Amino acid sequence: MRPLTPRRILAICGMLAVILFVVVVISLRVGAYPISMRDIVITLYNGAVGNGDSSEFSQVILGLRLPRIALGILVGAALSTSGAGFQALLRNPLADPYVLGVSSGAALGAMLSLIIAPHVVGAIQIAAFIGAAATIAAVYFLGRRGGQLDSATLLLAGIIAASFLSAIIIFLLTLVNGPGLRSMTFWLMGDLTAPPPTQNVLGWFGFLYFVFIVAAGAMYTTSSDLNLILTGEQEAGHLGVNVTRVKLVVYVAASVLTGLAVSVSGTIGYVGLLVPHVMRMLFGTDYRLLIPTSAIGGAIVIVLADTLGRTIVAPTELPVGAMTALAGAPVFIYLMRRRIR
Amino acid sequence: MAPSNTRKQFIAIALTLAGAIFASGVRNADAAGVHSQQSATAPAPPDPAAQTSANKRATKLVTDETGRHMAIPLNVERVVSLAPNLTETIYALGLDAKLAGDTTYCDIPPAAKNKPHIGAPQDPSLEAIVALHPDLVLATTSINRAETADALLKIGVPVYTSDPHTMAGMLSATATMADLLGASEQGATLVAALQKRLDALHAALQDRPMAHVLFVVWEDPLISIGQNTFIADALRWAGAESIIVANQNWPQVSMEEVVRLQPDYIVLTSDHLAAETHEHVNNLRDRPTWRELRAVELGHVAMASDEFTRPSPGLVDAIEALARELHPEAFSTSAAALAPNDTQRTVGAGLRPAPTTANELAFLHFALGRMPMEPSTCAR
Repeated sequence: MRPLTPRRILAICGMLAVILFVVVVISLRVGAYPISMRDIVITLYNGAVGNGDSSEFSQVILGLRLPRIALGILVGAALSTSGAGFQALLRNPLADPYVLGVSSGAALGAMLSLIIAPHVVGAIQIAAFIGAAATIAAVYFLGRRGGQLDSATLLLAGIIAASFLSAIIIFLLTLVNGPGLRSMTFWLMGDLTAPPPTQNVLGWFGFLYFVFIVAAGAMYTTSSDLNLILTGEQEAGHLGVNVTRVKLVVYVAASVLTGLAVSVSGTIGYVGLLVPHVMRMLFGTDYRLLIPTSAIGGAIVIVLADTLGRTIVAPTELPVGAMTALAGAPVFIYLMRRRIR
Repeated sequence: MAPSNTRKQFIAIALTLAGAIFASGVRNADAAGVHSQQSATAPAPPDPAAQTSANKRATKLVTDETGRHMAIPLNVERVVSLAPNLTETIYALGLDAKLAGDTTYCDIPPAAKNKPHIGAPQDPSLEAIVALHPDLVLATTSINRAETADALLKIGVPVYTSDPHTMAGMLSATATMADLLGASEQGATLVAALQKRLDALHAALQDRPMAHVLFVVWEDPLISIGQNTFIADALRWAGAESIIVANQNWPQVSMEEVVRLQPDYIVLTSDHLAAETHEHVNNLRDRPTWRELRAVELGHVAMASDEFTRPSPGLVDAIEALARELHPEAFSTSAAALAPNDTQRTVGAGLRPAPTTANELAFLHFALGRMPMEPSTCAR
């Protein structure tokens, strides 16, 4: 394999970024409201120079499509990065926030905050993070056998945690009455349509992306150490890697990323599992390359899935979670079969 | 490398948390300013496709039944309905010329099916709504999601959401809708006519004992209604009381409880036409437990039209029809006094295009492991 130079990382990421850009342009272009490319560019330009008006073009492009794309990029990148992190942390290729029950934990946390403190802005995000962190801790300890992490036990622990948490969520849903219930059910399917909770849309997205960049950046700084840890924890320790610290950083960062994604979009499955695997197949297992490519790849997948979701059954929309599960489940099975052989 | 690197990582994480706390403070301040900003926001000016109309239009500030504030043009020409009962109300007011679009579920009257659709009530395409250049969008808490109204208001499209829990609430929502659409007189006439029919019902039934009924939203699993639903109120107007006492709006009920309470009548709702009632009673007679219920043995199974689950003017038709079925003796003499159009409506021949309340509900139960869910076309 060719040596991994910073130049090669940049080249591959640049290529993926171009694909993401193309997907974003397609997503901006298609939809129930017909707009020409020229009008899209004019609207975007006017919006960018602060000259935005309240025409229908800017309502659709700046008010509806762009925020949804921005959210899709964030959620896809966060889920895939945390999936890559969990796969390294648990040394299990089937690990992902959804399969391990972490998304359910985050959803339960978010739901509790909706019931206890429905009007506190930001409470959902923090509660989702706590739920994610607590779940992965529980799964981690349940998944050990004789002091060692065991692949099968870990997956079982994740599945059990996911169904246990889902049961609690269903129980809570029976207590909630009225229209809130409907929103929550939608939210459990994974959905990008919810508007930002504040009038300051730019500030809101700035906050979300800031959290993402800090958490993903923290994970990226461990990527060389992660490569060593993946060859064996003892060996990495002998080479001077502080295994406990690295694992703690990855653990916290991956939980933050999962909590971030779930708190704005609900539980979207399979992206965190699939995207890192596809990136491994394409570009190798080096985490210095895997983390950034997973982030961009996840963004591509979610924006594409959401674009399909809002066009194939137009004028009705499919929640993005349904789209990713539809495509993700068969690929998951394929990967499992390959692994068994 | 490890010590200095990891310290940086911890600083980074600490920064994240600090940022989160800071941002939540900022956003709290934002949230406080939301209402004043929203009410100050000018309504959507004319769309590019209708540039001929005046550039600025007079608006009025309105607070809807969910407490959202918005500016609505005084002269509403194009309205989009997000729920079947709202579409039906618009037609009942004779304002269908102003109806620019409705949902795929809107099937009463049949002409509503030919309007441009913006998707299903729970997951409409917001773009499709904007593409219809509406002056006003109508929504209701009974079926629409709060997120839909929030998202549309955020981009400057006024969305008036009604929230009826009783017949009185339905009537006042109808009057308000008429006002917003510039048809106060039609609204007053319609509401007065409906009120008159309800009063006539009340007069005819006031000496009758309430029939104790099991209102079946869905049979398997058995879902009934709670007391705070508008259906419970509609039942009272029809001279019936639900036997189920539950705070939840759509409680899942055990058959044991039904056997214990022994309802006088079983009221089924579905899109089945009246002709099938007989068949339905026979079906229940074939089912274990059900066939042992006294009401089923006696053939006391009433079929309410599916309008019973829609808070719209047609609900009064459904109430009258049910009242006649439950209390036939009360109408033997005064039947002529009632309006002539109170008989069963024909709900379009052939297959219905959209999934119905009950089908959808049952499917969701199945998909979600029989989680008690809200039926889609029922109010809270």
